[in-house]
Amino acid sequence: MKDISKSVFKVDNDEKISGQAQYVSDIMGYDFLYAFTIRSEHPKAIIKDINLPNLPPGYYTVDYTDIPGKNVVKIIFDDMPVFAEKQVNYYKEPIMLLVGKDKEVLKNLASMVQIEYEILEPLYTYDNSVINYHFTKGDPVTAFKNAERVISFDYDTGYQEQLYIEPQGMLGYSEGEKVTLVGSIQCPYYVKNAVIAILDTTPEMVRVQQAAVGGAFGGKEEFPSLIACQLAVAINKIKRPIKLIYDREEDMEVTTKRHPSKITLEAAIVNNRIVGMRSKVGLDGGAHIGLSGVVLSRALIASTGAYTIDNLDVNGDVFITNTVPNGAFRGFGAPQMLFAIEMFIHHVATELGIDPLTMRLDALAKQNDKTSTNGTFRDPIIMNQMIEKAMEMSDYKRKVKEYQNDDSFRGIGMSWFLHGCGFTGSGESTHINALVKLKKDEQNQVHILIAAVDMGQGVKTTMKKIVANVLDIPLEQVTYNNPDTDFVPDSGPTVASRTIMIVGGLIARAALQLKQKWVEDYEVIVEERYQQPSYVKWDEETFQGDAYPAYSWGVNVVEVEVSKVTYQVNLLNSWSVYDVGKAIDERIIIGQADGGQMQGLGYGYLEVMRTKNGKVEHKNVTDYIIPTSVDAPSMETVIMDNPFPLGPYGAKGAGELTLVGGAPAVALAIENAINHKVQSIPMTPEKIMELINHGNN
Amino acid sequence: METIKFTLNHKVVEVEINETKRLLDVLREHFLLTGVKEGCGEGECGACAVLLDGDIVNSCMVPIANVKDHDVVTIEGYSKTKNFEVLKEAYAEEGAVQCGFCTPGMMIASEALLRKNPHPTEEDIKNGISGNLCRCTGYNMIIKAVQRASKSGEGLW
Amino acid sequence: MVNVIPKSLKEALKFLQEKPYTIIAGGTDLMVQKRGWSSTNPEFKQPVLFIANLAELNYVKVDSKAIFIGATTTLSTLLNHPSIPDIYKDALFEMASVGIRNSATIAGNIANASPAGDSLPVLYALNAVVVVQNIERKREIAIKDFITGVRKITLQEDEMITEIIIPKDVFTHRKWVKVGGRRADAISKISFVGLANIKNKKIVDFRIALGAVAPTVVRQEKIEAQCIGKTVEELQNNIEDIVAQYQQFIVPITDQRSTKAYREQISHNIIVDFIKSLSK
Repeated sequence: MKDISKSVFKVDNDEKISGQAQYVSDIMGYDFLYAFTIRSEHPKAIIKDINLPNLPPGYYTVDYTDIPGKNVVKIIFDDMPVFAEKQVNYYKEPIMLLVGKDKEVLKNLASMVQIEYEILEPLYTYDNSVINYHFTKGDPVTAFKNAERVISFDYDTGYQEQLYIEPQGMLGYSEGEKVTLVGSIQCPYYVKNAVIAILDTTPEMVRVQQAAVGGAFGGKEEFPSLIACQLAVAINKIKRPIKLIYDREEDMEVTTKRHPSKITLEAAIVNNRIVGMRSKVGLDGGAHIGLSGVVLSRALIASTGAYTIDNLDVNGDVFITNTVPNGAFRGFGAPQMLFAIEMFIHHVATELGIDPLTMRLDALAKQNDKTSTNGTFRDPIIMNQMIEKAMEMSDYKRKVKEYQNDDSFRGIGMSWFLHGCGFTGSGESTHINALVKLKKDEQNQVHILIAAVDMGQGVKTTMKKIVANVLDIPLEQVTYNNPDTDFVPDSGPTVASRTIMIVGGLIARAALQLKQKWVEDYEVIVEERYQQPSYVKWDEETFQGDAYPAYSWGVNVVEVEVSKVTYQVNLLNSWSVYDVGKAIDERIIIGQADGGQMQGLGYGYLEVMRTKNGKVEHKNVTDYIIPTSVDAPSMETVIMDNPFPLGPYGAKGAGELTLVGGAPAVALAIENAINHKVQSIPMTPEKIMELINHGNN
Repeated sequence: METIKFTLNHKVVEVEINETKRLLDVLREHFLLTGVKEGCGEGECGACAVLLDGDIVNSCMVPIANVKDHDVVTIEGYSKTKNFEVLKEAYAEEGAVQCGFCTPGMMIASEALLRKNPHPTEEDIKNGISGNLCRCTGYNMIIKAVQRASKSGEGLW
Repeated sequence: MVNVIPKSLKEALKFLQEKPYTIIAGGTDLMVQKRGWSSTNPEFKQPVLFIANLAELNYVKVDSKAIFIGATTTLSTLLNHPSIPDIYKDALFEMASVGIRNSATIAGNIANASPAGDSLPVLYALNAVVVVQNIERKREIAIKDFITGVRKITLQEDEMITEIIIPKDVFTHRKWVKVGGRRADAISKISFVGLANIKNKKIVDFRIALGAVAPTVVRQEKIEAQCIGKTVEELQNNIEDIVAQYQQFIVPITDQRSTKAYREQISHNIIVDFIKSLSK
């Protein structure tokens, strides 16, 4: 049998390289009206009155009064209005759409809309907790009571903006009462379900199609449902095709970002070992809860990172502030937590005067250990080999000592991490319950019918490979079009590193079924539905049990040089080793690895976004700095096989794993270079200067 | 409004349009050349890159007046060349394409670089494509693709 | 509002004589500043005069004393021209991206007068002279007098910049430092130009200019004069005094890109680093 990992050319290369791929803004030819969003000018205010200019014929407003259903975007926690009604809760919150043919006219009309507000006192601090989760493992009370010493450190992390290069956008039209939406989306069925609810209609009256997606990274997980609802309401009212495409600044000011966080970790120490840990996590949810609770739970579950700690007290809150709502971003709460825990274990070791590497190796999770939620690491963990490999490639042991003692301002940092694959807890079975279909037509072409979106991560290629491999047919005999909810079943959203492991796993099983039922020249359709492995038990209330069916693992080593004159950080090298079970396509996984790594590194040292008086200060690509080619270090990545029995060909999740270790690795490298404790990211030159002037060694 | 005449993908074209309009908008909306992408509208991301008299420019910063009597090539025109085929192959071999939104601009930047410097060093490539943001790949695979094209397309540039 | 695309400099100056225009060369600053909602027209308050295509202003000429650069010469042309001083090339290389350098012009950079414009500290340090013209006359102004504040220049409504003159001076030491948010294609938090001509360990010329740390470029000829005539060693023994003198002119702000404290301390570090490097 062929090795599935052997790379093939990606199936969408040609259309993308030649510029023929159709992203939503590229779709022309309908007689589109355009929509312009009228937004709040204050972070918190009561809308007293709205004065509209006289609208010429063919120009419309669309607001909450036009909504047939309940004015809320159906996400996970339904608290975000589609259009603000009486009150606005963040700067630029949408209030209404202006719709019409000529953008110049719309722009002019928009400038004449006058809204009278009664300004309310906004809240930007971590004071209004709307979600609190708390769980324990072992006996943390006794562990802390009996501790020889308790060591505590605080950590904080900033915003991160997805900065997909294609801004958000959606278009739609109606045929009779049926509404079709085409967009840059990760989750066709999230959009469909949100639109069904907002129009208070039936499933067959809503169709959602994915256009080519120019990057997403979580940013197109829940946010597109908001635009889709607005657009659907507008189409329902006006009955004309409408296009709603964001400019970059609008996108950056109003779309969801990675949650800023404040994390306090406390360790109970006995005999130079961490026998217990208390973690307290605060996430800034922004003005609406949305996915924040789910993000928080992933963060909390990742409290112990790649380590096993027997006694835990884990506590976290989502705080509501009058700022842009935060949401999904590759890693989903784990990047904040993994930064904190990786720094913490180093800081604890330093406090104790012992070698961090020794302490880490001692605490490293092993097969059959209990997870932070008293689940079990059932599958083999090959972190020891991975760490050895990473240290050998990077010459870590020598460099870390050398850089600590010299004044070269060079540094090396190594992060260890894991990522739970798929939805947290029982989400896969209770919320998603994925269904996949394969159809073989009379010409013997096999059609993959799933709702998974190729947003660059290559699932069009990898899914086809799985099917072709199982059926032993050429790749060209397999078709996988962009999902269209009129044709594909709900195989779930394209999120949470679930697509290959869960959906791909189902597809592999479906392909096997098809192989058995194959009748040449006749149509054959097979289906597979997700079934939770019987051993996976999860209690959503108490956070006890197996939070994930499987874990992917990784090691990142990063070497930096800090300028002694300007404190700017130059990334020299990055080495990574990953266990993603089995790569379905090695080149695609390396692509995920490089790209995820760059985003993770950017999060750690470069990408600054703040709000000031509720307004995003870094609202364009000039001010929000992401890495360019010149900033990228040379990268070396090794993939180690460790097949997961339930994944297709042994594959586990990969998409998020490659991001989550970047920030701690670069932060540790900077710490090693400047010999001051790093407790905050992004670690900018301004902060490095502060540390050098006033920081703790 | 003045009629602006220029060469677009090797054909002479004319538009009568507000002279301050962005070349980007004219290409996309008037000529339906949607391979030219708008990523940021402020010259930072390079997704809208085209060749103007053979040199890369960001079409979101170019008023249409400035291309009067000049030569513009977009990805649509470029994709009909031998150079394109070589670069395309190299991009595919190295896995340089993920979401694809930056890719047409990146191809234009690669071509512009190789035209000036057929045997670029890694540093040269990094500098040559530094005006084109990619959020998916971490750039390494793109850099390798340009290196590969420089070898496999020996003599073309 | 009628925009115009003149065919010659003379025609351009005639237009300017009639009424005020917003002059656009490469467009890299103005087209971004004035952009509206995507695919709507940029929001110019005056009619626009397009000069990018004036071939007669696209040149680099050299005589024994100076370099003469036409207003619409692009930054790329300068970067690739053998006669452009190395210190300017150092700056140009790190300025913006290739695509922007292919459009952006030297005159546009000056007229934009952004405190963070990277051409400016170099042109200040090189004692560049701005030539402006109206239909009747030509005048020459030192760049430091031409730029009067943040985005403020002394250009009359009927005038345009037609040429930049850079005197040919000899420098044995040069240092360009751009402190941006990242290593390429970023707006400067600080930019620094240090130039010196050292003969037999004695300083015969010494210039420092800093960008983005005050409303306009910081260049202090009085401080420079104190340094000229000294030996390198004497200067280095006086580093703290020199830096202290610069400090009162380095009055940066905190903005979205950096902090006042960082800009102050790093400016200090860079000046020290430059002076120390003179013994090499």
